Amino acid sequence: MYFAQLAVNGLVQGLVISLAAMSITLVFGIVRFPNAATGDVMTVGAFSGLIVYPLTGSLLLSGVFAVAVAAAVALASHLLVFRRLAGRSVVALLVASIGVGFVLRSIMGLAFGHQPMVFSMPLSRPYRLGGLAINPLDLQLALLALVMLVLAFAILHLTPIGRQMRAVADNPALARVSGIRSGRVMAALWVLAGAIVGAGGVMLGVKTVVGPEMGWDMLMPAFAAAIFGGIGSPAGALLAGFILGVAQEMSTPFVGFTYKIALSFAIMLIVLLKRPSGLLGRIEGVR
Amino acid sequence: MTFEAVDICKAFDGFEVLRNVSMSMPLDGLIGLIGPNGAGKSTLFSVISGFMPPSSGHVTFDGVSMNGMSASTRARAGMVRTFQVPKEFSHLSVRENLMAAAPGQAGENLTGLFLRPGLVRRQEDGLRKRADAVISFLRLDRVADSSAGLLSGGQKKLLELGRALMVEPKLILLDEPFAGVNPVLIGEIMERIRELNGRGIGFLIIEHDLDALTRLVSRLYVMDQGAILAEGEPVAVLADKAVRDAYLGGEA
Repeated sequence: MYFAQLAVNGLVQGLVISLAAMSITLVFGIVRFPNAATGDVMTVGAFSGLIVYPLTGSLLLSGVFAVAVAAAVALASHLLVFRRLAGRSVVALLVASIGVGFVLRSIMGLAFGHQPMVFSMPLSRPYRLGGLAINPLDLQLALLALVMLVLAFAILHLTPIGRQMRAVADNPALARVSGIRSGRVMAALWVLAGAIVGAGGVMLGVKTVVGPEMGWDMLMPAFAAAIFGGIGSPAGALLAGFILGVAQEMSTPFVGFTYKIALSFAIMLIVLLKRPSGLLGRIEGVR
Repeated sequence: MTFEAVDICKAFDGFEVLRNVSMSMPLDGLIGLIGPNGAGKSTLFSVISGFMPPSSGHVTFDGVSMNGMSASTRARAGMVRTFQVPKEFSHLSVRENLMAAAPGQAGENLTGLFLRPGLVRRQEDGLRKRADAVISFLRLDRVADSSAGLLSGGQKKLLELGRALMVEPKLILLDEPFAGVNPVLIGEIMERIRELNGRGIGFLIIEHDLDALTRLVSRLYVMDQGAILAEGEPVAVLADKAVRDAYLGGEA
């Protein structure tokens, strides 16, 4: 039962990783570089939520605001930086994204200071389900994450812009020939990637503490999940995030808090050695 | 209603790939283009369809000069091409491949998606109907929901044709539609081409399968070393001494 409880806790943790990994994998699949600023956009989401929460007392409104701000910041990073570097090497874009992350982190450090801050949530009695304690707050957070994930998958698979995103990821040359306007597709993609990770920021902020470094610290597990899931595959990122989150929590009794991240990396390494393309296929073509 | 290419020249690093190529055809014509490998046929297609600018010369379509127009603008004007090696969005379904080939929808940006959902849905429904019509015309119903990457070579050729049809073209440039396709499917593709031509869509077809091609087209252009060597009735052209020397090595 103890482990079942850890697994439940891990699911929420896993959702945060999933959201970040999905943002990374979407950008990688379509713009084709690993965006190291993803974590810091997440932090932007957390701080945005933190500003709105005391004013409204509504987690939903905080979440919506955080999603909007993070989406705007991600779009701005595209318009101001990444779009201008289109066609450069992956390394150039990666380094640029590390720089964008630095800038965001510094701005947030200046604006909010480095003291850890918390969402002061009212205490609530956990639901009892069998022997499991389920925190109502966790349920709300999970709901927020699921809404974002459903929205992302719906946009990708049920809308014209989503079809075009997948088309660009699949065969950029053919997409251009087909008259698909990549500028619009890119803008929509960055809004989506920012929105997803903004929701993750609020979740992480509510679960832990908010500080300028929080997103940067999430970057490695998020990258791990994106690669583990099969880079470019949103469904894979989702699945891998869950697995890493649950594995981290369940390993804590054995390896302690400090090494749980190391363990999730060990799992990732083993899977990748056996299956280099990750858990699931990718949205981009293999070439 | 004609298509004309006038004095097209194209040089790469001083090497002349196309030398004063001129051709003209009615927009509802069914024309073949043959020539040995390296004669410049595919390069001519690329220049005509706007994938490469010519070094000199111009293309007029339906009386309008197309110089300086991008490939997608030319496609919207009604002139589309297919590729020698079929291209597809391999992870999208056949239906999605077709739907992605007809851009210009309201749902192509997020604001349109959220602000005008009704319009987006209507356009999507219309687009899906068109895609389904193309799918059943090409007899691809059984694979409509499969990933395009899983299709056979011949089915990919049909999908290429389908993608061209989605932009409601007046003239389709087919680059080797029969290459690597089994004989049954070749007959099928020829049948579809005839049917489309009957509806007034013109075709300019590059093909090495002379047997199939001469049964299909009413006129034949022969290219050799970047220039037009001969043109006319297929049977007469293939009987021409110069053509036989250049293309058939003088034996056939």
